[in-house]
Amino acid sequence: MRQLPLGVQLRTAAVFDNYYPGPNFEAVAAVRSQSPAPQWIWGAAATGKSHLLQSACAATAAPSAYVPLALDGCMPPEALEGFEQLALACIDDLDAIAGQPRWERALFALFNAAAESGTRLLFAARATPAALRWSLPDWASRAASCGVYQLRVLDDAERIEALRMRANRRGLELPLETAEYLLKRMPRDQQALFDLVDTLDEAALVAQRRLTVPFVRAALNLV
Amino acid sequence: MSESLWNRCLRVLESELPERQFNTWVRPLQALERDGELHLLAPNRYVVEWLNQNSLARINELVSSFGDGLARSVVLDVGTRAPPVASVPASVAVTPKPKRAEAVVLGSRINPEFTFDNFVEGKSNQLAKAAAIQVADNPGKAYNPLFIYGGVGLGKTHLMHAVANKIKTHSPGARLAYVHSERFVGDMVRALQHRTINEFKTAYRSLDALLIDDIQFFAGKEGSQEEFFHTFNALLEGQQQVIMTCDRYPKEVDGLEERLKSRFGWGLTVAVEPPELETCVAILMSKAAMAHTDLPEEVAFFIAKRIRSNVRELEGALRRVVANSHFTGRPITLEFAKDALKDLLALQEKLVTVENIQKTVAEYYKIRVADLLSKRRSRSIARPRQVAMALAKELTNHSLPEIGDAFGGRDHTTVMHACKRIKDLREVERRIGEDYMNLLRTLAG
Repeated sequence: MRQLPLGVQLRTAAVFDNYYPGPNFEAVAAVRSQSPAPQWIWGAAATGKSHLLQSACAATAAPSAYVPLALDGCMPPEALEGFEQLALACIDDLDAIAGQPRWERALFALFNAAAESGTRLLFAARATPAALRWSLPDWASRAASCGVYQLRVLDDAERIEALRMRANRRGLELPLETAEYLLKRMPRDQQALFDLVDTLDEAALVAQRRLTVPFVRAALNLV
Repeated sequence: MSESLWNRCLRVLESELPERQFNTWVRPLQALERDGELHLLAPNRYVVEWLNQNSLARINELVSSFGDGLARSVVLDVGTRAPPVASVPASVAVTPKPKRAEAVVLGSRINPEFTFDNFVEGKSNQLAKAAAIQVADNPGKAYNPLFIYGGVGLGKTHLMHAVANKIKTHSPGARLAYVHSERFVGDMVRALQHRTINEFKTAYRSLDALLIDDIQFFAGKEGSQEEFFHTFNALLEGQQQVIMTCDRYPKEVDGLEERLKSRFGWGLTVAVEPPELETCVAILMSKAAMAHTDLPEEVAFFIAKRIRSNVRELEGALRRVVANSHFTGRPITLEFAKDALKDLLALQEKLVTVENIQKTVAEYYKIRVADLLSKRRSRSIARPRQVAMALAKELTNHSLPEIGDAFGGRDHTTVMHACKRIKDLREVERRIGEDYMNLLRTLAG
């Protein structure tokens, strides 16, 4: 008889608990710190920039906003107006608008207004403020005044550790050999990594099996 | 009650909407229950439009289902629960609009932390500081207007606030306003829309001192220039003080009316230059002291030597070191600072490329990088091009032919000629010498 999984799951949403800090503990500490100083996190794709920014929103009880600039090509710069009324404004994908004067003016205005109203600002991009090609020096210098933190890509040992942390949090034991087996087949970004553990958890519960290599191979249809 | 009703809605919406949509469009809303209605206040009209199209129907359903049998309608609008910190007509706020001129709040809060005491003086800014102190001691009489110009992050805004704070110490009742010029433009547009332009004019013209920042943002905005021109004249005639900042000398601002440029020069025009090393160190020590952080001098020298482009960048680096020290509980030592800043410094070193030199030189002379690479030979382009070539030779390991290539495929002899020409000119033309040193400081520290 197969056991039906209960519909109770750990949140897979972007919250701090779902992020494995590993080598990026300083950046995570900075984002979590509630420091009023503006902060800028940067790193390659899939290092968890969006996750951290959204986690900061989720951890803020007062109104906040997360704005991914790369996703919404039709959003005009004026969509940042009034954000200085929020407790926290998180702006992602700054590299997507670098060099566009209207966007930079909007960011410059937001930066000044936020400094005055006490709104906390978190920025994320693929590069540091100094490395992006801005068109408005006034904005460039303000961006450069942020506390800048890099998010590094996890190496293999860290990916295994992240995976086992997530499994452990779900009450699962992920043997090292299984983790190593999965290593070459795992995606690099943390969210996908955690989703993989969630899938395995459900499969293990239904099949009443431990996460052995043969079981994982069958559960994930890996050849 | 409204919070709990809205919080219940939020929980459902969070589980139903894709996470990014929820974080972008729903989280910014503020809820307010009034007259049996649930008011949802959005920061701007784009949030309102998105919600109208995508979620308002569902929000209405949820409010009805959670409404304890009470029929509540949902009103979605742009606004804020708290009165805006400072604005001329509160166009987007739910709070009542100011009716009388004296109720109009102009510009932004004057920052009490920017004073003359914590303005670090060096050769690069001592004239501007001295002039600002004179103006603060004799507003409307010493130098009117005072025009402070220079690059970004060099302390122009700090000086303005310091003047305002000092005037307030002498005359607590003085009516002062610090306004960014973009804010002036925005507030004027709103005043026109809301037919409160007369209140706007009266409020500005009855000030004892107007401090207006970054006037280069007036460029190309004729209507705002016109209004500012009249405000400016009225203030000057009444011996009320006007202080302006700009990123360049008034005559060099394109898109600004000649009559304004000429009037801006009636008082005193002073420059702030990029700080020299010792001033950078003093700035870091001062900022660390303000943050109650013990910063050893050797660490300040280490940071200042490597990050010298402007004060804000110094501040960012210091911020990083201080934060790391707090996270780890370790004291700030030279080794600690090197470790905390290793990523930034590695990038900083990489930044001294021919490409970056071209970008920095183009920004400095207010021309385009494309001009530097073009065939144009007018002096306004050719001289910056020669400066950029000479800097590339001095700051990078590229050969003369490589530098020539990077400047639109020029011959190596052109680069040689440029280097020699700039070397000679630096000795005989003070301006070129200063430009070169400023650029060198910006690029390499």
